[in-house]
Amino acid sequence: MTPPLTSSAARDDILRAVRAALPPAVDAPSTMYPRDEQGASKDELLVRFTHAAVATGAQVVVCDGDPALEAARLAADAREVLSLVPGVVSTIAAPSDPQSLTTLDLFICQAEIGVAENGALWFATSNPIHRAALYLAERVVIVIAANAIVADLHDAYRRINVRATSFGTFVAGPSKTADIEQALVIGAHGPKELTVIIREA
Amino acid sequence: MSKRAFALPVLGQPAPVDHAAAAAVFNADVARTDWHDESLWFVREKRDRAAALVSDWEELRERASAIKEHALTHLDQYLTQFEANALENGMQVHWARDADEHNRIVHSILEGAGATRLVKSKSMLTEECGLNPYLQERGIDVVDSDLGERIVQFRNEGPSHIVMPAIHLTRGEVGETFHQHLGTPVGLDDPIALTRAAREHLRGKFLAADATLTGMNFAIAETGGFVVCTNEGNADLGMALAPIHIASVGIEKVIPRLEDLPVFLRLLARSGTGQAITSYTTHVHAPRDGQVLHVILVDNGRTKQLAREEFWGSLKCIRCGACMNTCPVYRRSGGHSYGSTVPGPIGSVLTPGLDLERYAALPFASTLCGSCTAVCPVKIDLDGQLFRWRQHVTERGYSSKSKGAAIKTSVMVFDRPRLFRAVGAIARVGLRLMPRALARIASGAWGRTREAPLPAHESFRSWYRRERMGRKG
Repeated sequence: MTPPLTSSAARDDILRAVRAALPPAVDAPSTMYPRDEQGASKDELLVRFTHAAVATGAQVVVCDGDPALEAARLAADAREVLSLVPGVVSTIAAPSDPQSLTTLDLFICQAEIGVAENGALWFATSNPIHRAALYLAERVVIVIAANAIVADLHDAYRRINVRATSFGTFVAGPSKTADIEQALVIGAHGPKELTVIIREA
Repeated sequence: MSKRAFALPVLGQPAPVDHAAAAAVFNADVARTDWHDESLWFVREKRDRAAALVSDWEELRERASAIKEHALTHLDQYLTQFEANALENGMQVHWARDADEHNRIVHSILEGAGATRLVKSKSMLTEECGLNPYLQERGIDVVDSDLGERIVQFRNEGPSHIVMPAIHLTRGEVGETFHQHLGTPVGLDDPIALTRAAREHLRGKFLAADATLTGMNFAIAETGGFVVCTNEGNADLGMALAPIHIASVGIEKVIPRLEDLPVFLRLLARSGTGQAITSYTTHVHAPRDGQVLHVILVDNGRTKQLAREEFWGSLKCIRCGACMNTCPVYRRSGGHSYGSTVPGPIGSVLTPGLDLERYAALPFASTLCGSCTAVCPVKIDLDGQLFRWRQHVTERGYSSKSKGAAIKTSVMVFDRPRLFRAVGAIARVGLRLMPRALARIASGAWGRTREAPLPAHESFRSWYRRERMGRKG
């Protein structure tokens, strides 16, 4: 049996202290963040996204044919491949526990949204294996439709339902660190490479 | 420095922090001080470039500040809304009044599950609570997984910066530490090779962890979820693999709505490191299948700070670290000199609230230049708060006796015009005759690195009387 973890007295005490401490009320900013009235063209967003994604350390491939062919080409030299993209074959069966993914060479998935201002890609799932694969794979390939690229994060959140899945993340480039003398090192704990395949409509 | 300077140390009551003395030790190595200064200024410049690329930057800062002010002035509502939604999402929610209660909750969760191996990602809150030693004393293997945090953990140090915990160390020192703890070859100091060694070492820890602990960058009341930002993906590996996830958060971190989140995310990484966004901005809204997810909401002095009319604005902080990177005092004194979990300007307004006597020196670890306020993404008036803390320190008698005596003497002299003229006349002659070395000593800390100017031959008053009044009269 787990012992009782906390008394509701703590909750009551904290909320009472908060109420006693509250500064004079400040209203919430009333309107939604203003939209970019001009609205950038699709081509412009694609260019901005590509620049931003490259700045995050990702490799970007713009593909006017079948993105699965491009993904398959990238998967050619990988031994263990887990793919969520139709047309690219996984070489391993999804294991029952995420710890078994340690030798995964390549994870291929699709993002719902790309963000032009920062090169980030929204990937959400409730599947624990897919979630872990995003971080355990040596290399990750993410496919994004060109028409799913939005201007900025405000736009992105208008299209995301964060409660639909247990997990969702904006991925911007491979895992990286600059903790030793500010020297940028790609591949800290997670993938050492991220390739973004942009599928033109 | 403090009024306790001559008292016997009380057991369990740490001595007051002497920032100036610690900074003097840091400054003894001039080349290293310059290197530290330049490393941080480099990050500050990256921040400037990133901010300049966002056309609505100032509007974002305005809005971020307004959202935080709204959230903090309705904090009870947003905390209970977050709690209700988090519970509905399948999380367990705990409340901790102070550090000790937080640590006990974490330990009882681990103990209840028979968990002994804990992998943590960066959480300044757990540093503040002293969680690591608490758990280690109780037999838990605690591993900090952020590379910088792991480095300082190996060295038995605290982080010296909230975003770059090992910014005070050279690659050579990291290499030496890794040689001792990870068996890397002697003299290996290549950042890539060292990072690879840490990756391999920590990958094993992630896979074997019984539990993981993360902080939160934002808790969203409207959706009952939270966001964790990292570049390394360390928090993500912990959360994706461990069967138990504990997420600790200070109560000030809750934001009202999902639509508020992009305002902060657009500011956070740009302000902190000059990146447009961190590699991973992860949203957790439920435990994954087979996982237990605990949220701990921690007060530990935050409600006291909220009650302080002059200082509650400091709770708007989103922990980007920009104020440290820009601060001329932080850059030249190093994070450890503050003796506080959060150093730099924001630390110097937050930490005195915990124990003003102990941290009386921190509000003075500033030139009041206001550079911190200028870069703060949530517009905290840091220099104003530092200035106001100084007044409290002085009123309570915690400032140095010599400083107080000097000010009292000045007041006495300025209050008496004849005495003032007499002292002026003596000083004008005395300072000219006095050997320069002695004059430097007489001008205190200021004179250590500066030459005291020679006084004028006559006072302004006597010049004015002769030149102006004399002509008229």
